[in-house]
Amino acid sequence: MITVGMDLGTQRVKAVILKNDTVVSRGQAFSGFDPTKAAEQAVGEALKKANLKISDVAYFVATGSAMEMAPYANSTVSMMGADAKAGVHIFPKARTIIDVGAEEARAVKCDKKGVMVDFVVNERCAAGAGAFIEAMARALEVKLEEMGPLSLKAERASPINASCVIFGESDVVSLIHRQESKPEIARAVFDAMADRISSMVHRLGVNPDVVLVGGVAKDVGFVASLKRKLGVDVLIPEFPDFAGALGAALAAASRAKEGQK
Amino acid sequence: MKSEKVEKKYMPEISRKEIDELRNSVKTASQKIMAENIERMKKADPNRPEVMKYFDEIANLFGQRQKEILAEKEKGKKVIGYMCLFAPTELILAADAIPVRVNSGWYDTSKLGDRVVPVEVCPVIRSTIGAKMIELSPFLELSDALISVLTCDGMTKLSEILSDYKTIWGMDIPRVKDSSQSLRFWNDEIKHMKAQIEEFTGNKITRKSLKAAIEQTQMATKAFRRLQDLRKGPPVIMGRDAMLVNQTYLWDDKKRWTEKTEALCDELEKRVQRKEWVCSPDTPRVLVTGTPMFWPDNWKLPTLVEEANPKGIIVADELCSGERILNDPVGVDEWSMDDMLSAIGDRYLMASTCPCFTSKDGNEDRINWLINKVKEWNVQGVIYYVVRGCMLYGMEYTRIKKALDKINIPVYYLDTDYTREDVGQMKTRVEAFLEMLTARVDF
Repeated sequence: MITVGMDLGTQRVKAVILKNDTVVSRGQAFSGFDPTKAAEQAVGEALKKANLKISDVAYFVATGSAMEMAPYANSTVSMMGADAKAGVHIFPKARTIIDVGAEEARAVKCDKKGVMVDFVVNERCAAGAGAFIEAMARALEVKLEEMGPLSLKAERASPINASCVIFGESDVVSLIHRQESKPEIARAVFDAMADRISSMVHRLGVNPDVVLVGGVAKDVGFVASLKRKLGVDVLIPEFPDFAGALGAALAAASRAKEGQK
Repeated sequence: MKSEKVEKKYMPEISRKEIDELRNSVKTASQKIMAENIERMKKADPNRPEVMKYFDEIANLFGQRQKEILAEKEKGKKVIGYMCLFAPTELILAADAIPVRVNSGWYDTSKLGDRVVPVEVCPVIRSTIGAKMIELSPFLELSDALISVLTCDGMTKLSEILSDYKTIWGMDIPRVKDSSQSLRFWNDEIKHMKAQIEEFTGNKITRKSLKAAIEQTQMATKAFRRLQDLRKGPPVIMGRDAMLVNQTYLWDDKKRWTEKTEALCDELEKRVQRKEWVCSPDTPRVLVTGTPMFWPDNWKLPTLVEEANPKGIIVADELCSGERILNDPVGVDEWSMDDMLSAIGDRYLMASTCPCFTSKDGNEDRINWLINKVKEWNVQGVIYYVVRGCMLYGMEYTRIKKALDKINIPVYYLDTDYTREDVGQMKTRVEAFLEMLTARVDF
């Protein structure tokens, strides 16, 4: 049976095609002004890679902040529910899933079946999410993907305030004026983010195994800071940014099976 | 009333033209929001009880009730507004005056409040300041005097700020509930309030008039509790409808409100017998606690919960804008003046679950209330609602969460503000929470 999960995120739409609980292909597109069109593109790309047609798909599930704009969707699943399903599917011992995306960070506590039992979401500010790294990279005049490797070269940590992107940026500017090195400032950015996210996770309780997903999981600098702050190992899947879409595809599979009963 | 010419301690000078322009624009927006909220409530229950029309009319803040109070005032009655549930409304009724609660639920006026206090201040306070600045709130404008109870920091300073316009009587509330000095102190405040109300209205509060006021309020409590009890079983009324009925008590005529609520309950009982539910009995049952939610703008959370996908139903709350209004009756043994006053003191202090209190065990009463509600109303999940700047509710969360964890009831901390812009974000969170509750039922 073929099912599709679509994750309509704030920056990108991701699609995952599942055949009998195994991923056969992935697709993605920038959300832009038309998330519906972007989702069609992402699904189209994934179908093409897998040599499939829309009509081959038994069930579509959408998730993500623009899930209501999803094409083809038979139903939806919350981002937190999708994270829990995907996390436990990839790492069966996972009980805490942390998802850091472009605009939002969340943590989900789940049981062994991948059912979420509790969750927290960052407060109404992007300082704990990917957009913060982007803003800080701009302030440092480095490319986004350079931030992580740069931070690993830091010899020490300088604390900054990450309660807000704007305050964070002005703190970074004062570090620049103090002539701190770029690696140290980059590390300060990740430490501040990891601080916020780890206190959020602590509100749920840090139940191992801890899994990190979402686009920011690809950033080595953030991962290093998060491991330090949480004091536990953090598992990262091969395609962390596709976790939401995978969770949706898994939900699609179980809903399609329920429908067949 | 104080003369407008007195130099203001807090409020900025603002021209008549600006006041009128701002009021008209906020009022127009507000009328639209009230109508929309009610439309959505009608849509949620196509078989909505006929008598809800009455409550819809009373909920129109610029409608019938405003005119009625104005007419009473013209006949010489005094209107006494209050900002906290601790204000002993029985004393106001016994002095033949009209009690009205005046906290503001308008989002737009919270921005005006920013001209006077920092944005970090709780939006309920900022919005009430803003409403006063542009003379928006009919009931605040109609009030001849205000009772302010010094509960949280916001309320304490709000009373000072509003004293730029109105006669304010501050009631000092002890923060430690379970001590004999506290009760003595509070009972003195009650006696003092009685004297102030008598002097202000020119009406003596007699043994007879106070007994009548207490009995009338007890009747209202009876109707009120009957309505909440009907929410224990499969859903026979939408949570929003019940919440609207509960909240209109704050400004409606007490006797008529009681009759209409009894009539609503009669109708609902018939529906229970016919097993006519407003939604599927499997719908996740939610309790809301935290910062008060004032009509009309701050209807955001109840609307989201009951229109979400998957949908939830609010079966109970622990809000001072909701079920705390009339939950507890004044219990009198001997109908002597002294006994009645101390019974009033007891009811307003001891029955309160406001987080401004602490005691030997902390605010244990609030936990007991919540656990009792969860058990008797078959609550499956609790939404802990806090607006930015509401320190006391925010700070008490950790303890409440631990208590609810022990009885395996999920609780979600939802933080928001007096704004419409975060509805999308809130929806994501509420829907994830309801999905989680549904999943717990499935497994």
